[in-house]
Parts: sequence; C-alpha cells; structure tokens
Amino acid sequence: MSSTSQKHKDFVAEPMGEKPVNALAGIGEVLGKRLEEKGFDKAYVVLGQFLVLKKDEELFRDWLKDTCSANTKQQGDCFGCLKEWCDAFL
Amino acid sequence: MSLFMEDPAHFSKSRLKSELVAHNVVLPPVKSRKEIYVDLHLKHIAQKNAGDFSSDDEDQENDLAAKEEDAEILVQSCLTDDDLKAVLLKHGVKAGPIVASTRALYENKLRRLQQSEGQGHVNGVEKGVLYSDSEEEEEQGEQEDGESGSEGAKEEIDELSNQAQQGSSQFPSGTHSAVSNGGSSISPQQSFSITEMVQEMEKRKSLFSCPNTERELNGSNVQEHWSRFNRPDTPIVDTMKNQSPYYTPKESPYKMKPSQEPVKDTIKEMFLNMEASPTGICATRRRPIKGAAGRPVQYIYPDSPTTIERREVERRLVPIHIQILVFFIVACLLYIIYVCVEENSFNPFVALLDSPGQGSESEEGLVLQAETQVTPVISRQE
Repeated sequence: MSSTSQKHKDFVAEPMGEKPVNALAGIGEVLGKRLEEKGFDKAYVVLGQFLVLKKDEELFRDWLKDTCSANTKQQGDCFGCLKEWCDAFL
Repeated sequence: MSLFMEDPAHFSKSRLKSELVAHNVVLPPVKSRKEIYVDLHLKHIAQKNAGDFSSDDEDQENDLAAKEEDAEILVQSCLTDDDLKAVLLKHGVKAGPIVASTRALYENKLRRLQQSEGQGHVNGVEKGVLYSDSEEEEEQGEQEDGESGSEGAKEEIDELSNQAQQGSSQFPSGTHSAVSNGGSSISPQQSFSITEMVQEMEKRKSLFSCPNTERELNGSNVQEHWSRFNRPDTPIVDTMKNQSPYYTPKESPYKMKPSQEPVKDTIKEMFLNMEASPTGICATRRRPIKGAAGRPVQYIYPDSPTTIERREVERRLVPIHIQILVFFIVACLLYIIYVCVEENSFNPFVALLDSPGQGSESEEGLVLQAETQVTPVISRQE
C-alpha cells in the first residue's frame, strides 16, 4: 500500500466542512496562497472543481498545474486526497 | 507561380497512393492504373493545394500539416461549448461540463490530440516519400527504415508511456492496438495492404491518439507491445472494434436504482449531446451521507490520539484493582497460616476473632499486632 501523509489521513478522517485549502494534502502555504488568489479559498471549492472535472485524474492534475503550478508529487497527493475523501463521504 | 506546382503525373504510384491516404481519399482498386491515381490526386489534393505553393514537396506537406493545425487552433477559440464537446467526442474523449474553469483545459486537451494526430499524418507521408517504385526495393527500404526509425520510435514511445501513465487504463490498450494496427498495415503483401490501411485510417479517427501509426517495425522490436505486429490483421481489427472510446475512469461502482428513472430522463434531456453508452450518464445512486441523521460514521482512521490515550488509561486502571485485591488475599492467607501455626497462644487468636474484617488498615494493624506478639512468644519459647 502506498504511504499517505499525516495530512492526508487527517483530511480523509472526517467531513471537510469549512477547512481551508491548506488542509488538502499536497497543498502547502505557497500553493494555498496561489489558490486563494484565484478564488479557491476553501477546500470545498477545490472539491467543486474536482467534481466538475468528473474526478478525472489527468484533467485535475492539469488544472492544478495551470492554477497554482503544482509539481507532479503535489498534484498526485491532492488528487489522491480528494478522491479518497469522495469515496468515503460522497 | 504554377511552375512550382509539381505535376502529380511525375509522382510514383506508391507516392500517389500514400498522398491520397494522407488526404483521406478513398483509394481505387489495387490493380488500377497510375492514371487513375493521378486523376484522383488532381481532383482532391490539387483543390486543397490551391494557393499553397512551396518549392519542396516535403516542405509543402509540412506546411499543409502545420497550416491545418493552425487553422484548427484558430477555430478552437471560436468554438462554442457544445461544438468543443462534439469535437472532443469525435476524438473519443468524453468531456464533462464545459464551464469557464474547465474550458481552457478541454481546449488544451483538444490541441494535444490534434497535434498528435497531425504528427502521425506527417510521419506517414514522409515515409511514403522514401519508398521507391519496385516492390523489392520497397521491402528493403522498409527494413532499413525500420532499423533507422527505431530510435525515433523510442522517443515517441516514451511520450506514449508518459501519456499512458497519466491517463486512465484505456490509454495503453488503445494505443497498443492502434499502433500494432498501424505497424501491421504496411506489410510486404501489397495486395490487401491498401484496403486495410483505409479501414484502419477510418478506425483511427475514432480513437483519440495514435502517434507513430505508420512507423516501420518489421525488424526491430522496440518494446514488448510491438510484438503483436506480425499477427494477421483480422484479430487485431476485432480488438479495435471492442475498444470503446475513452470515458471517465470508473472508480466507484455505478448503482442504478429503478426509482431513479424520472431523474435519469431529466438528465438525458439536459445532456442531449452525450452518447447513450452503458456508463454514459453518470447518475449514481446517492449513498447516504455518513454522520447525518443518526447514521454511524465509519472512519477510515478511527484511532485518533484521544482515543488511544483513553484506552491506555483504562488499561492501567483495571490491573490496579486486581493488584489491590491480590494484596489483601495474600495478606489474609499469611495471617491465617500464622494463626494456624501458633496453636499455643489462644488469646491473641480469640482477640483477633472478636474483631473481624475491619478494612485494610485495621488488617494491617492486626498484622502488626501479630508481629509484635510473635516476639514475646519467641522469647517465651526460649
């Protein structure tokens, strides 16, 4: 099983509610700020974008790269985090 | 200006064939004369080339391909959402809602698809140019091209593998069959290669990405995937038919309830453009929200730090009680043994019997009394 970070586990453990976008796995301070500037200030907004892209990995990764210049690892972490959250709660 | 326009009658028959195929013109029967090819070429391709003049043939073809790409890119920005969706569907991509935030992504995707297809066209035409008239020379030429083209093929395969990793599982299987088809199309047996090529070209349109379609891979097997090259065409054609166009990755199972039918109809009306494939309309049964309406929440990671601490504390509490109990039992046992041993001295035994079980402290006090009485007894015995 691939290892998941503590941040990932904490996010997936409960409904995201009003958690900030920094709470997403792979999204740190810098990326979080960039996303907030684009208007994605809460994790649920990024979730919205994820769902609009029909949970497609490639499209979501491209979107992350275009929006906040996330690298491959960060893209993967964020995608995995949201995907698992959706599997658990959606 | 017409001086620069090359007379197709000067082209070789195979060159004419490949150019017709590159321009998606239906080829005449195999044993038709060169003149028929020339006529077709003049009819279709000359019309396209009107206005596009360049000195070299290859440059002309490259310019054509480039200009087609440019035209497509320009047109992309003029496409409406529905048109963009339709074009993506033509390339086999099932697009989601095209909204402000997703439009740019889908345009990029379309561009990538078109570029990869354009590359396939250009490479195919160049390969056609390298062929000579006679069949024997063609076979030799194919083998040489196969060996020389393997290096170029490796780079494209790397791109392929990168794309495949990023994409869904449909990607590699689609490209395998497409590539093996493209490779097998140029076979030494000329009699049915042309019709096969036409069929595969048409089928390739239904797939989204097939770079490297007409590369030569007779001698050099670059990867294991290419090993399917030498098989006859019919089974490969069948597998291509089985390949469904790319659709969204099926992560969670789709559960369709019969009560969902009225909802399904409205969704169908909303998305008229979407194909009615088995998984086309993603109207999944909504699982109940966990944690709501008294439903128990099943956490994936239930052991939060607080629960772990609680469990440890509980573990410590229970043994403590057992330890105290055991202590008292042992103390009583020892006292009874002492009393039984000391049968001589009845007085302390009776005194002790008069004051039964007064708690741990009194028992300890009694034990102390017993100890103090032991010493005078011992002294008496001496």
